[in-house]
Amino acid sequence: MTVLRAEKLFKRYGNFVAVDNVSFSVESGKIFGLLGPNGAGKTTSIRIVTNIIAPDSGEVYLFNETAGPKLQEKIGYLPEERGLYKKLKVIEQLLYFGQLKGMKRSEALQKARFWLFKMNASDWENKKIQELSKGMQQKVQFISTILHDPPLVILDEPFSGLDPINTELLKQIILDLKEQGKAIMLSTHIMSQVEQLCDEICLIDHGKVLLSGNVRDIKKSYGKDTILVEYEGDSNVFNDLKDVQIINRSENRIEFRINADIKVIEKFQKELLSKVLIFRYELMEPSLNEIFIDVVTKKEKLIEN
Amino acid sequence: MKISYLKIKSIIKHEYTTRIKSKGFIISTLLGPIGFFVIMGMIALSSYLSVSESPKMKIAIIDYTHNYGKEIVRLDSVNLFLSKKSEAELREKVLKQELDGFLIIPENILDSGIVYLFTGGGGGIAFQSSIRDIVNAVVRRHRLEREGISPLVIQKIDSPVLLDARKITITGEKKEFTEVYAVLGYILGISIYILMFTYGGIVQRSVIEEKANRIIEVLASSAKPFEILLGKVIGVGALGLTQILIWLIVFGLGLYFGAPIILSFFESDIMQSSIVSNAELSDAATGLEIPTISPLLILALIFYFLAGYFLFSTIFAAIGSAVDQESDAAQIQAPISMFLVIPLLFISVVIVNPDSTLSVILSLIPFFSPTLMVIRIAASEVPLWQIIVSVMLMIISFFAAIWASAKIYRIGILIYGKKPSFKELFKWLKAV
Repeated sequence: MTVLRAEKLFKRYGNFVAVDNVSFSVESGKIFGLLGPNGAGKTTSIRIVTNIIAPDSGEVYLFNETAGPKLQEKIGYLPEERGLYKKLKVIEQLLYFGQLKGMKRSEALQKARFWLFKMNASDWENKKIQELSKGMQQKVQFISTILHDPPLVILDEPFSGLDPINTELLKQIILDLKEQGKAIMLSTHIMSQVEQLCDEICLIDHGKVLLSGNVRDIKKSYGKDTILVEYEGDSNVFNDLKDVQIINRSENRIEFRINADIKVIEKFQKELLSKVLIFRYELMEPSLNEIFIDVVTKKEKLIEN
Repeated sequence: MKISYLKIKSIIKHEYTTRIKSKGFIISTLLGPIGFFVIMGMIALSSYLSVSESPKMKIAIIDYTHNYGKEIVRLDSVNLFLSKKSEAELREKVLKQELDGFLIIPENILDSGIVYLFTGGGGGIAFQSSIRDIVNAVVRRHRLEREGISPLVIQKIDSPVLLDARKITITGEKKEFTEVYAVLGYILGISIYILMFTYGGIVQRSVIEEKANRIIEVLASSAKPFEILLGKVIGVGALGLTQILIWLIVFGLGLYFGAPIILSFFESDIMQSSIVSNAELSDAATGLEIPTISPLLILALIFYFLAGYFLFSTIFAAIGSAVDQESDAAQIQAPISMFLVIPLLFISVVIVNPDSTLSVILSLIPFFSPTLMVIRIAASEVPLWQIIVSVMLMIISFFAAIWASAKIYRIGILIYGKKPSFKELFKWLKAV
């Protein structure tokens, strides 16, 4: 079911066009990734969807209704930068945000305690925000986002400031929410996370949509053009490679994309076998990270020309 | 525009309950009355000092009349003394700073009416007028004596007139305590001024805090900027009102239980002095009357505090929303602050002459009303129409302020990194 539908959003600040004809939709039970470099128009798009600002033109539909103040309660929004009252106790903070989303105090209290327990944070209930570490604050902020059980959850860089253990914990909770049928909109720079979590993506830059669709389809459309080699031996052999683009290179490991004819590569492959010891050789689809860089740089070259 | 009262209520509740428990509020509520008494004490002390203490100046007198000098020294033997030295010698001494100055009394003083004062500079207006008054008193007596008027008559002429002002009320007449009410008005006016800006400042800091800590992003995804602004202003205003009511109740109880004790202490003192100074007026002093505080004044105090607070806090909130940190707010506010100081400059004018045209006009200007109208209501009988006009102007300007502030606030809270100019603020006002 389509929970959120943004149609032809357009927003201009003076002469600067922040969002230019952007459309996307978010389904329930799916994670939608909104990607793009800094200043691409992600935050503006999210602010339009959350009804913080109005677009100059275009429409936002939430459950097929025109989005407005009434529907704000159906959205949980975790902004990129943390917004908590430093001097407030954790529980007071959660109660306030919950009540602002239309919850009753008792209901908010019960839910807040449930989530604090679930996030291993029950002990902090009466601590002031300023006594907490950044990671802890991030957890509190996340709880405040989903406290009122919104059908649409918008997360802007939800993993920043979290250690690996808490990153996993949060990932698991996001996947749980997806299981429960929530629509999740995720904005992040970390492509590995997008690859692990997102079903659909929309890549925007300079306010325009560059790429959108199902993650698997997008990767398939690029074909298998990336080679990963793990080896032992003289690394100089790779310096002879022509018409390839090295993505990642570290000791005994190299990842590159081929632009040349596959036959050249096959020849090189044989050469390689005779010179170094190969542990792993894999022909695969490009990572989302590569696709991201590809699309954005191509676009930028286009603009320069 | 539809407004969610439930959300405004949540915001008011949050702003009020988190602050009323804060140390800052409890301490300021406790220290407020102490500060009040310190200010009152300072006013009393300064008026006492300015009357009783004349500056210490060492002034020599060259008396060419060989007569009046003695009498003049007798009136102020601390500062003045007779000198046999010549003018040139005294000039030397003044330059060497062994002497502050010298006074020359010419022989024909009774006719010319001029004495000459030479100083190394300084002394102030009070010092000069004290010299003039002393010489004037002596010269005046000698002029009258020269005309053959007997010293007894002169003494009678010089005995002062006392004004016993009474106020006519429905139930009869009351003693008029003009000075007491003037001092009361002064204190109340200053208190309102301080409170308005204290609480307006709290609103502004809170807006800046929410913006700087990006809390506003979460709030704005839950409620309309107008609801956030209104809820905050009302919540903090309720806090201010709570503080004022606590103080009023404490003062009320203090007066009710404390006044009889204080009065009995003063009573004997007043009776004695009145008998000694003027026996004719002694019947006026019987049945001691105390100044009462009218309910109108208390109502005015509360109304003008709230109205002034709402007016300034919405403007301060708009300025707060447009900047990233407090120091920037102070800069934008500087021109406005200069304008807001005006009532302080006119307080003394209004107290001395509460019903003059200038006082009436100033007290009707909404930005000045909270301070100056309260002073006028305390110090005089303000015509009802003036109060009504002022109340209406306050209400109209509050709505204008919140309309404009909401527009600036709505845009300001989401813009970071640059300090907007006044031109930009006006542009935001015009934005749809």
